[in-house]
Parts: sequence; structure tokens; C-alpha cells
Amino acid sequence: MASIEIENLTKRYGATTALDNVSLKIESGEFLVLLGPSGCGKTTLLRCLAGLETPDEGEIYMDGELVFSSKLNRIVPPGKRNLGMVFQSYALWPHMTVRNNVKFGLDVLNLSESDSKDRLDQVLKDLGMGDLQNRYPSELSGGQQQRVALARLLATKPPVFLMDEPLSNLDARLRMDMRVELKKFQASTGSTTVYVTHDQTEAMTMSTRVVVMRDGRIQQVSPPSQLYKRPENTFVADFIGMPRINLIKANRSDGKNRLYSNGDIDIDIGWDEAPSSIVVGARPEDLKISKEELKGSQAYEVSSVLPNGPETIIQLTRGGTILLARIGHEIDLHEGEKVTVQFDQKALNVYDAKSGALLGPPIDTNGTN
Amino acid sequence: MDLAIRRDSPLMRLVLDPVNILLMILLGILFYLVLWPFLELVLHTITWGDGDRRLSRDAVPGEYTWFHWLQVTASPLSERMLYAPLVNTLITGVISTVIALIVGGGLAWCVIRSDMPGKGWLQPVLTLPYIVPSFAIALAWETVFRSPKVGGQPGLYETVLGIPPPEWVSYGTFPISITLAMHYFPFAYLLVAGALATIDSQMEEGALLSGASRMMILRRITFPVVAPAFAAAFVLTFGKTIGQFALPFLLGAPTQFHTIATMVYANLALGLDSMAYVLAILLILMSLLAIWASNKFVGNNARRFETISGKGFRSRQVALGGWRWPIFWSVATFGFVVGILPLILLGYQSLMLIDGFFNLSNLTMHFWTGQSDPEIAMGEPGVLHNTNILGAAWNTIELAFFSAVIASLVGLVIAYIVVRKESNPLAKMLDQIAFIPFLFPSIAFGAMYLTMFAEPRGPIPALYGTFTLLVLISVVNRLPYSVKTGVTAVTQIGRELEEAAEVAGASWGRRFRKIIAPLASSGVVTGMMVSFVGVMRELSLIILLITPSTRVLMTVGFNYAEEGLTQLSNALVLIVAMITIAGELILWWAGKSRLVQLREKQS
Repeated sequence: MASIEIENLTKRYGATTALDNVSLKIESGEFLVLLGPSGCGKTTLLRCLAGLETPDEGEIYMDGELVFSSKLNRIVPPGKRNLGMVFQSYALWPHMTVRNNVKFGLDVLNLSESDSKDRLDQVLKDLGMGDLQNRYPSELSGGQQQRVALARLLATKPPVFLMDEPLSNLDARLRMDMRVELKKFQASTGSTTVYVTHDQTEAMTMSTRVVVMRDGRIQQVSPPSQLYKRPENTFVADFIGMPRINLIKANRSDGKNRLYSNGDIDIDIGWDEAPSSIVVGARPEDLKISKEELKGSQAYEVSSVLPNGPETIIQLTRGGTILLARIGHEIDLHEGEKVTVQFDQKALNVYDAKSGALLGPPIDTNGTN
Repeated sequence: MDLAIRRDSPLMRLVLDPVNILLMILLGILFYLVLWPFLELVLHTITWGDGDRRLSRDAVPGEYTWFHWLQVTASPLSERMLYAPLVNTLITGVISTVIALIVGGGLAWCVIRSDMPGKGWLQPVLTLPYIVPSFAIALAWETVFRSPKVGGQPGLYETVLGIPPPEWVSYGTFPISITLAMHYFPFAYLLVAGALATIDSQMEEGALLSGASRMMILRRITFPVVAPAFAAAFVLTFGKTIGQFALPFLLGAPTQFHTIATMVYANLALGLDSMAYVLAILLILMSLLAIWASNKFVGNNARRFETISGKGFRSRQVALGGWRWPIFWSVATFGFVVGILPLILLGYQSLMLIDGFFNLSNLTMHFWTGQSDPEIAMGEPGVLHNTNILGAAWNTIELAFFSAVIASLVGLVIAYIVVRKESNPLAKMLDQIAFIPFLFPSIAFGAMYLTMFAEPRGPIPALYGTFTLLVLISVVNRLPYSVKTGVTAVTQIGRELEEAAEVAGASWGRRFRKIIAPLASSGVVTGMMVSFVGVMRELSLIILLITPSTRVLMTVGFNYAEEGLTQLSNALVLIVAMITIAGELILWWAGKSRLVQLREKQS
């Protein structure tokens, strides 16, 4: 088991900067997910950890050992970093059987024949590939190929797992099953895992911590629940959550400290110290919808109703402002109906209008409600 | 610790990276084998040589001079040495290319886009003339149209009709153009067929719906879309015809009809080396000009004619209706006449005791199985007993085998470097240098190696007259093709396959051996077979470098033809043709089964 430390890592491709001064500490045994839109640098960071890319600046320590340093001109090649990697395409060697695919890494280690055989048999058995070991990758289903990739990873018992979108080639149902399996797999080996994905559900369900990246920079590092409840800037707030968060740009109403308005709607943020220009972040489930007129609430028109199994997403319009709300089955709404909306003051996040950074804490940060 | 850090440093990693080391070594080798010989050729033409004293009193061996260039371009000799052959080269080149394109294009349309019957077996028959050595066709032509005016026995034409053919049919522009066209139309056919296969028939259906006639669609839609492919095919075919040596030599030299290529050979035979090299350089320039023109035209228009949009691609065959069978019979007859008849003629002719007498009592197996008889063919025994020929056959197989294997492996390594190090400008340079031999007309390439390796140079001994030199030139000549094959193969191997092995700790050598080579093997082995067949039928490339101890079947056959021992020459060429055809059949069959395998794997 190994911890990983990344210090001031920068990687440029010509004029574009793929990683911009990234620093990160990954605890031993952690399941860390790198999340972000395509081109945010998450895969580059993973490949730098693997040693498949050479950063321009910075240091990387693995298990306390310096594996890359631009200052000391030190690069430890991938094979010497003691890690295993699962690729997006699985990268199974098509000309080798399942068994030989898994065996390759052991051959490189120059293990004794019997040691190698025992370990191989064990790994194949653990992953339920025993019957399929003489097949070729092209003769396997997507899920089975995935498992071969995991077996290959496991065979050499590396303390660090790197995974590059390993589930993106599977269909939706299989992906769900594999998420559970991967999580168990990681927990049982206890290896430090760095996992790249652009799928936030995957990130939220599997990780111990999530790193959200954008344009080569880290935006936020948090456990998944906090990431959702307490996004540290408007980008993360907007990126995490389906349907997306309501971000309302508002100015302080004259003479009233806690009351903000964007011209169409008024929001009481319940906090006195915010500046005059802010962005209010309200998750769709933080809007309380009612058919009755409530004190201090404003009237909206239901402009769209999108039922989605256990919940219904509704679109609300007031003037030029459109909000999304998530409701259960307790009320039945139709397009064109008038409803009133109350914001759950405790759940609101307030951001600086200019920088997009999270401002003071009006809510209970640890609270799970 | 200190040492470890130094070996881990980026600079040392760059220097110690085996791929970079290979890149530098290959660059050095290719520079030496491709660019230097060209410089050497140019230098030779602007330097007085030892033999030049008999040409000019001013000659000072080793000094620079324009003498050879002036002799070739602006002297009383120029007309015969340069201008007339230049005109001949251009005329035969253009005529044969135009015919090859029209015939090849028409056949490509019939095979790819129409519902003509019998395509399956017509296709290989139609490519036969390109598979057999080019001068087999010239020999077959001679067998029919030989004119006794030039000497020797009458051909089949005269025997049947009783009157000799007009001389313009026997020798010169007409037969050379026709036979060149016969040899190269399959080449044009393959190029145009490739383009036609990419046409989405919805484009044509669109025109059909707006009421256009079939001819109009062909003229206004189909042809303009394949025009760039036609232009490219024109230039490539033309470039190949001008480098042809044996064919124009056999059908031109008897009447002093010369092309630049045959003039290179003739000058070398006369000991006028530098003149020959000037002509070789001019030949290279013509080829460069043609390629440049094609790049300019096709390059500018390529985007405009991109026809595969990826979505909803359909290729529908055009119904020929009542024309179906007449067209089939014409194509089949044509295929027989150009593909099979020449081989039959060669075979028949090789059985005639006295050349030119076409009756059964004249038939003999002497030239195949006979023992030496001083009365016949200057005592040369039949080809199957002739130690000369058996030696040449062995040489041929060795040459083709070694060249094909080396060219394919080197091609694969170069391709690997080119694909994996694409951002490295040196890798790009390697790619470009490896392509350059494609631009050298083969006889000019031979001339380059003649100047380069005639005498020892540094640590490299004089390779002229050695088997090694033949392998060397054949390998370098095949490189543009083998690199292309290799690039296709390596590109299909995902980068992650290799990275997975890298993460597992496998060294580069291990990765190349265990991952790259096995995965590229099927493509590379096919390329190897293509090279094997290609080297085997090559004559123009090596004719200048052959010595008695290194003779191969093609050069022995050519020498027999030069000496008028037509039966022996025909028998030999027929043997080579059979071997190359067998090779192609294996390839064709293997290619088919490989396609099936691929489809199974993908499903």
C-alpha cells in the first residue's frame, strides 16, 4: 500500500497547458477519482503518475520515493514504479490467450515457474476466469474483457492501481454491476487507486474522495457527499448534479441585508455578511413547491413537466428566469399551472459573482440533514 | 544513488532510448544508401573521369567540368543521345499511359460498378500482365511481329499471312507503347478501382431521380469524382513507364530506336559512363516533375472530392441490361489476349527447334530438357539442365528471399518509429528518406549504385559484382512499399496495447518482439510475399549491377534475348512468370482467407 504525493506538476503540449501547477496528496488505500470534462487534464495527470507522460515541472513521490522530479532530472520508467493500470480500451493483447495476457506481467518479473503458475491460477479463479483462460480476447464479452484487464492488474500485486475510464466501453446495465464489483475489488486488495472518469455518478458512487479538474487545474478535492452539497465554486456546482443546479445571479435589494433579487425573483439567503453581488446556488431538490400561497413565497408558472420514474423534474418560469425543481409524487403538476416556491435556506450556497468562489458558511457543512 | 539519478535524467533517457538509437542508426544507413548515391551520381557527371581522356584533350581527372552535361545537351551528339530519346520516352510514355488509363478505367468501372458476370475470376486474369515480367510481353510481341528485315526468323504474323508486318508494327513507338500499356493497365485499373469503390451510389441516384441519362451520370457525376484518382494514376503510370528498360530495349534497339532508359544502358555499354549518368539524372528529374505535378493537382483537389461521409454509404451496381453478355465476352476476350495468350505464345515458341517455323514437326523439348548440342543455340543445354540457369535460379530465389525479408523487417521498424515518434522531426525525415527510392526510375537507381559502389569507400569495400549489392539495392528499392505496409500495420495496433506492457515493466525489445511484431505479422508477411514476387521479376533495377557470378533468371533471360537465343529466353521468362503468378495466387488466396478471419474476429 502506498501513498502518492504530487507537487506543483505542470505539463504542456506546445501552447496548451494540460496540467497547471497541480499539487495533490493521495492517502494510502484511498479510492481517488479524477473527474472533469474532456480535456481537463485528468487523463494526463494519470499518465504522468504512470510514467507514460513526462511532466515539464514538479515532483511525484510514490510511497515516499521520488519517482519524478524536474529539478533533479529524475524519471523512473513506468515498469519500475510498481503500479498496475487498466486502460480505457482494456488494451488486452489480441494475439494472446486470457491466460497469457495475465501471465505477461509475471514473465517480466522473472518469477519461478511454479510461483508464477500458482499466482496465475489464483488470480484467474478469483475473477471467475478459470474456464475462459484459453480463449482469446476477441472471443469474450465486454464484461469478461474487463475482468481480464483486472486480472492482469492484480497478477503482479501492485500497491497502486491506475484506471483510465475503465467502464466507459460497457453498456449502462453492465456498468452498474461493474461499479459494485470494482469497489469490492479495491476494498479487498486495499491498493491505492486513482481512477479517471467523466461520469459523475461513477465518481460519486465509488470514491472516497473526488478531485474535480478543469483546464489543467484542480477545482475541488472532497468526499463525494460534500462535493455535492458544498461545491467550492460555480464550476463545480454546475458540473456536479443531474439535473444541474440553479445558479441565480442576484444583487442585494436596497436596504435589506439578506434579501437578494435578480429582477424577477427575490431570495432570502439567511446570511448577513454577503457582498452586494452574488450567485446563489440552489439544487433542484432545495426548491419547495406548493400549490397554495405561502407567506414570503413568489408565484411561478410551470413551463414544463418531465416525469422520470421515482421523481419528476419541473421547469418553472418567472419573468425571464427559469428554474429547475425536483419533486416526488406527492403533488401532481401540469404545464401552465401556477405554483409558489420557497428556497431551503440551509441548503443554499452563495458564491462571489465575480470570481465564482464560495462565500461564507450559512449552512451546516457537515450536516447530512 | 548519484549514478541512478544520472541514468534517470531526461537527456540520458532520450539518448539511451532504444527507439531513438535505432532512429539515428537508420537515418545514417538510409542517408548512405539513398541520398549519398544520388550526390555521388551528380558529382560523377561534373567531374573528369579517368576514361575521359579519350573524349577530350582537356580532361584532368578529378577536376570539375560541365563537359558531360554540354556533351549531352548541346553538342552534335545531343540529338541522338538526348533529344530523340527524350521525345521517344515522352511519346511512348504518354501514349501507353493514356491507353492504360482508358482500358484500366473502363475495366475498373465494369468490375466495380456494373453487374457484369464472371468478375470473380476475371479480376485475377486482368492483373496477369502486371504480374508477369514486363519483357515477357515484349518477347511475345516479337514472337508474333518479328520482322526479318532486321534479321532473324520471321514471326507468326508473316508465317500465317505470308507477308512481313510493316516495320512500324514490329519495332519503335507503336509496339513499345502498346506493350507498355498492356503491362501497366492493371496498375491503372487497381488505382481507379480503388477510387470507384469509394463512390456513394446515392450521388448517382440523385442524378437519376432528376432525370439524367446513364451516359450523362457517368460523364457529369462519376467521372469528375474519380478524376483526381485518374490524375494520380496517370502520373504514377507515366513515372513507371519512363523507367522501363528491357521492354523498349527489345522492341526498339534493333532499329536504333532509343528511350532515355535504353540510352543509359547503351552509353554504359560503350563506356561513356558520365553521359549515361547525366541521362539517369534527367530521368530522375522527369520522375520528380511528374510526382510534383500530381501532388500539386491531387493535393489541391483532394478535399473537394472527399466522397466518403461515413453515413449511409451505399454502393449499388449499375445494371448493364442487354449489354451484360456482350461486355462480358469483350472483357473476357481482352483478358485472354493480354493475360494468357502472351504466355501461350512464349511457351509455344520455346518448343520450336528452329525459330519461326510454325509447324508440328518443328516442335522439340530441347530448350527445356535437351543436353548441350553444338548444332543448336551455340551449344547451350536446355534450361532444366543448364548449370548456368540453375545457378541463376538459386540466386534469384536467394535474392528475392533475403530482399523481401530484410525489406519487410526494416520497413516494420521504420514504420514503428514513424508512427510512434510522429512528433519527432527526425522520424518524419526518416519517413521521407525511405520514400525517396520510389522517385528513382529503376534504371537510374541502378546507375547510382554503380557509381557509389564501384570502388571501396571508407570502411565499405567495393561491392560491385557482389551478391550483397543486389540485395542492398533490392531492399532499398522495396522500402517505400514495405514502410507503407508497416505503417498500416502499426497504426492498427493501439498505443495502449504497448503502454500496458510498458507499465508491466517490459523493455522496448520485449514489447517489440512480443506485442508489435506478432500483431503486425499478418500484414508484414503479406508485404513480404509482394516484395518476393516484385524482386523476382525485377530487371531494370539490377541489369547494370549484374556480373556473371551474380546472374539471376531475369538477366540471363535478357542476355539470351540479346543474343537472339529466343527459345531459351522465352523458356526462362516463362519460368519467372509462373513463379510470380504462383506467388500472386498464394497472396490472393491468403488475402481472402485473412479477410474472412478478420471478419470473424470482429464480429
